[in-house]
Amino acid sequence: MFERFTRDARAAVTLAQDEAGALGAERIDADHVLLAAVRTDGAARRALASLGVQPDDVAAAVRAREGLDDEALASIGVDLAAIREQVESTFGPGALDAGPPTSPRTFTPDAKKLLEVALREAVRSRRRSIDTGHLLLAAVRLDETGAHAALGALGLTDDAVRDAVTAAWAAAA
Amino acid sequence: MTGNDSLLTAAGAAEPAEGLRAVRSLRTLADRLEALQVERARRRGWSWQQIADCLGVTRQAVHKKYGKVVP
Repeated sequence: MFERFTRDARAAVTLAQDEAGALGAERIDADHVLLAAVRTDGAARRALASLGVQPDDVAAAVRAREGLDDEALASIGVDLAAIREQVESTFGPGALDAGPPTSPRTFTPDAKKLLEVALREAVRSRRRSIDTGHLLLAAVRLDETGAHAALGALGLTDDAVRDAVTAAWAAAA
Repeated sequence: MTGNDSLLTAAGAAEPAEGLRAVRSLRTLADRLEALQVERARRRGWSWQQIADCLGVTRQAVHKKYGKVVP
């Protein structure tokens, strides 16, 4: 299916592997694809920029979702700040922030679905190829994935993102 | 629906979600601590068998998981 991907969308899929690896993930998930799409220069990045969201904001949202939820831990009486302090005194600053880097080679079912839906979005938008805008639209559509949750955590509504992608395409045309 | 009812509904929905997020965070926390401790033990010359005994797993399991990351 990758033959229909534009150069920026291909770059994003390749970058997704690095993003997943840097976060210590075993497999490439939908939110890694989303993050990579936004980090790559293209429609997705321009669309989110028009909504005041930068690639680093998306990275923070993805990291927060995969990482340690201090509020949830506090609800069962676990003081993450205290643990962090102890661990950092032994292992150095930032020791708890991410696991060791990995080199994931496979996609999760969610990530595969995101690529398929991006293809469908490309057909729907009557475009011959898939760019990062379609990847972003797919993240909006797949509301049970981590990619969608990351967008939600940034306060982005589905409609706002859709409109922004359309506007980004129009501006580039 | 009265105000109390909606409050109860919200609490009911939030409770499992928060509880599950806590479970997930605990797993992540345990995984990261394990990686840090295994690396430290190896650097101090521990054998894979010693590490495995402490973790309550087989030597093969711990080596398969960390053999590539830690020499």
